[in-house]
Amino acid sequence: MSAYRAPLKEMRFLVHELVGLKRLAELPQWAEITPDLLDQILDEAARFAEGVLSPLNAIGDRIGSIRSDDGSVTTPPGFKEAYQQFVEAGWNSIATPQEFEGQGLPRAIGTPVSEMWHGSNVAFTLCPLLTQGAIEAIHIAGSEALKQQYLPRMVSGEWAGTMNLTEPQAGSDLAALRTKAIPNGDHYLLHGQKIYITYGEQDFTSNIIHLVLARTPGAPAGIKGISLFLVPKFLVNEDGSLGARNDVHCVSLENKLGIHASPTCVMAYGDQGGAMGYLVGEENRGLEYMFIMMNAARFSVGMEGVGLAEAAYQHALKYARERVQGTPTGTDSHQRSSILGHPDVRRMLLTMRAHVEAGRAMAYQGSLYLDLAAHHPDASVRADYQTRVDVFIPVIKAWNTEMAVNMASLGIQVHGGMGYIEETGAAQFLRDARITSIYEGTTGIQCNDLIGRKVMRDQGRAMFALLAELEQELSAHLSAAHELEGSQIEASLKACDASSLKLFSELKVILNAAMVAVHTLKRATEWVVATSVDRSRHPEIFAGAWPYLKLTGNVLGGVMMAKAAQHSAQHLSAKEGDIDFFEAKIRTAHFFAFHVLSENEGLLATLTQGGQSIIDFPPNAF
Amino acid sequence: MKVVVALKRVIDYNVKIRVKTDGTGVETANVKMSMNPFDEIALEEAVRLKEAGIVSEVIAVTLGTQACQDVLRTALAVGADRVVLIETDVELQPLAVATCLKAFVQKEQPRLVLLGKQAIDDDANQTGQMLAALLGWAQATNAFKLEIAGDHATVTREIDGGLETLEASLPVIVTADLRLNTPRYATLPNIMKAKKKTIESLLPADLGVDPSPRLKTLLVSDPPVRKPGIVVNSVTELVEKLRNEARVI
Amino acid sequence: MTTLVIAEHSNLTLRASTLNTIAAALQLGEPVSVLVAGYGADMAAQEASLVVGVHQVLHADAPHYAEQLAEEMAVLIQKLATDFTTLIAPATVFGRNLLPRVAALLDIAPITDILAIESNDTFVRPIYAGNALAKVQTLETKKVLSVRPTSFEATAAQGGNASVVKIEACAAVRLSQFKSRDLASSDRPELAGARVVISGGRGLQSGENFQMLEALADKLGAAIGASRAAVDAGYVPNDYQVGQTGKIVAPELYIAVGISGAVQHLAGMKDSKVIVAINKDPDAPIFQVADYGLVADLFQAIPELTAAL
Repeated sequence: MSAYRAPLKEMRFLVHELVGLKRLAELPQWAEITPDLLDQILDEAARFAEGVLSPLNAIGDRIGSIRSDDGSVTTPPGFKEAYQQFVEAGWNSIATPQEFEGQGLPRAIGTPVSEMWHGSNVAFTLCPLLTQGAIEAIHIAGSEALKQQYLPRMVSGEWAGTMNLTEPQAGSDLAALRTKAIPNGDHYLLHGQKIYITYGEQDFTSNIIHLVLARTPGAPAGIKGISLFLVPKFLVNEDGSLGARNDVHCVSLENKLGIHASPTCVMAYGDQGGAMGYLVGEENRGLEYMFIMMNAARFSVGMEGVGLAEAAYQHALKYARERVQGTPTGTDSHQRSSILGHPDVRRMLLTMRAHVEAGRAMAYQGSLYLDLAAHHPDASVRADYQTRVDVFIPVIKAWNTEMAVNMASLGIQVHGGMGYIEETGAAQFLRDARITSIYEGTTGIQCNDLIGRKVMRDQGRAMFALLAELEQELSAHLSAAHELEGSQIEASLKACDASSLKLFSELKVILNAAMVAVHTLKRATEWVVATSVDRSRHPEIFAGAWPYLKLTGNVLGGVMMAKAAQHSAQHLSAKEGDIDFFEAKIRTAHFFAFHVLSENEGLLATLTQGGQSIIDFPPNAF
Repeated sequence: MKVVVALKRVIDYNVKIRVKTDGTGVETANVKMSMNPFDEIALEEAVRLKEAGIVSEVIAVTLGTQACQDVLRTALAVGADRVVLIETDVELQPLAVATCLKAFVQKEQPRLVLLGKQAIDDDANQTGQMLAALLGWAQATNAFKLEIAGDHATVTREIDGGLETLEASLPVIVTADLRLNTPRYATLPNIMKAKKKTIESLLPADLGVDPSPRLKTLLVSDPPVRKPGIVVNSVTELVEKLRNEARVI
Repeated sequence: MTTLVIAEHSNLTLRASTLNTIAAALQLGEPVSVLVAGYGADMAAQEASLVVGVHQVLHADAPHYAEQLAEEMAVLIQKLATDFTTLIAPATVFGRNLLPRVAALLDIAPITDILAIESNDTFVRPIYAGNALAKVQTLETKKVLSVRPTSFEATAAQGGNASVVKIEACAAVRLSQFKSRDLASSDRPELAGARVVISGGRGLQSGENFQMLEALADKLGAAIGASRAAVDAGYVPNDYQVGQTGKIVAPELYIAVGISGAVQHLAGMKDSKVIVAINKDPDAPIFQVADYGLVADLFQAIPELTAAL
């Protein structure tokens, strides 16, 4: 079992340089965040991920969480202690507001940190992640009394939180949910069953704060009649001590494909008379509160994808380095080499590497937009960034999680037969990643969100604005690249060094490919907007929602790769920093241009011409 | 009482080192650097002594360039009260380090100095012993367990094949071995607080010390590569090879 | 121009490391004296006088040398140093503890853990856990050195005829007092000095299964070690650990059983003269350093091997 190593160099490059932490420091509350503070936070998070979480990943998968007959759940050996260490080290409160003793750090810093948690042990990380979501919901909508009573101990990690949305008949369609909340004095009594409740029961914390969607008597039908309730596992007395056990119980655990350490609970509310719950915010606004948090939650799952894909890549690369097998074509000697010598193995590894880098860069960029949209002092600037966030989120979520599944699968392929053996550890990444494109809104929902809500609804305004900005950036980079190449030609002639020159001409190819990609997405968007005028063709457009989202992800990732290459070329030209790192950046971007961006024309064709074949194949034709 | 902990910034434990092609040393540019693991253990012990009420102040000190500030920040985040950088860009060898530390200790007057038993870069295993000699203090190297009661330290040391216990009056130098404790992780709130603390700075000249190296490294090279081995097909063949080819049984 | 070897001994007998150290001292080509400082150490001094190549034995005997505490020994050696150009000790826990203290008292930069002697003033020592070698030249007026015993073939223990000179002890400094020593009681040789080491890893699956290795170790007179993974899994105590953070061994024969061969483990045993690996995973990295690899189920191979010896 190989150990996870946080890709710190890459993270630093992105946060310090490519995404531009400088822009955050302009915001008053984060003025004191200096590069060396950021480095230290990343270093310490890496130590924790590598030293505590990563060693438990395989054990967690093998043993999983186990429910006893009394309804209690035992997490895998070591997890409880790791949780204790996690909260003692203060990682639970990295993003929570300072008024509740949190650190209030921006998402642009929390994002690489969370990537390390996901990469080293995603099943563990779901507990603090869900708690974070619950904290945000209470913070956004809860009364002052609820906040004071529950938030401090959730922020400290003494208590954990859960999110209870799904019911057996209400999955992606929450309008169908049936759990009832009957008013009863200062509280409500809840009755119903919730499924897929992550860490609905566990042995980490002394109390669990469930946030539950339910209907009050007489509430309107559909999504407009759903309210949000806080249901503690143990009731909390006035003085803060724990009181009676509430009528909420884990009645079974799901037997899942992956994330075995994370207990996925079926929760029964009110089997013994009613679970006491407290209204969060106002009646019938529950789903609205959920939607406020939705972007953050979907972003986090996108980061699960990045973390898992990185871990799968590291695992495959380590194996490829060590595994000796065959003689690569083109080498005369009969000496066997590591499989890294075989071009197709390198193709697979580069595919993984390039996708992970693109997905990560796009997500980190999105994290900055999330911060600016939430915290910029100027309301109109906030609004501008919010439209940017709205476009990025479904792409970060769906592109990265689909990517993670494919890359984890490719990781197994690199291992050959050994990859199919559980003991090797490569399979766990695929099984763990498989859920990420499903929960917090399936890929299908993300695709519909992007093409419907984010593009058709505003006739592509936000998307066109984004593309215009990218085009402008790329042309600036292209002229800079011309200059760089010019100065480099002179330098290379003097030094008789043609090899370094190649990287600079590759840079122009990369930037041009990114520019073409932006134009392809522009054409795709123009088709969507033009076609949407005819309402009868909407099904056809939605049939192309996936190729459109995939294309968007390729383009956003491709532009980030091109920008990274541009920065790298500048460093190389100035002969500063880590030469190997920057050369690899340019080569990876070049690979991305020819192995990923080259898909784009096909995706455009599928979008514009492929939808019809789906529409022409009605349900009864199957 | 005060305790001084001496720290060294080294190439991270997990990094696979690369020898420079010109043989002048090991590649350190763009390589992850961290606190020497044995020094982390020494620091942890000091912080635990403070938590136990035995020590009043933990002072962490390191020698080197400005880049070494990061390990001092880490020390603050783990619980050091004060941190000091003795700033120099010369190649540091243990005797020079011990000489600087001697002057620093005389200035700060701690009753205990903790160090790692060795640094994982030069693997010299010298500084603590030399500092003890220069100060004329007792030394307890390779500590497995440290107890301080009143003016006495009882130290159990790791020796070949077991453990040995020594007793010494303070002041004393103790160097930490692997099993002395398990260092804690720095906490995020402490990292944020540490940011606001200052790093004190001194020059070797302020301490009246010339830290110039006294030994000359002529060449750093890769260790010799073993010749490839063979796969035997049975226990019988293995025994035969060990007897007649390798002649080790 | 003479060399002083600081003997490591138990008062009754010399430790094996002393013979390796004398061998290294002889390579310097100057007359070699041996210091035996102890309490009631006549037998050890006598033994030293018989070692081939030794010119004379200096024997200091006093109660405060009984445990060879660094503080006491260093003062004595500092006084003797005027008569010697080179001081040399084994790079064992004993020598590592003592030698730098001596060096600092003399204001000499020592060179520790020497693997090879290149010339009179130039030595090779490992850095980065043996992942690199440094060739170091001393510019000092005296040389203070420690040598890694496994890198120097021991000189013959019998055949010499050196004189034993009683020397005066220095006054006790009494900075520290010896209290007790707790040695793991075992008939087996110490891991660090054993001629044969058999180490077990996670492949053994439990602490009980280490008994299988003991039967084999009995036949070979071997010490038993373990990988960090086996120690972490609680199969055996910490002091069994061979590796970067455990013991570094270089026996004539090292048998790795059910050990995959993490880099950290390799760092602790890769200088062994002959390495045997027994593992059921043919891709285990341990096979890359093994001289003889056997791809087999250890639960069959080990009893078979024990029976075949």
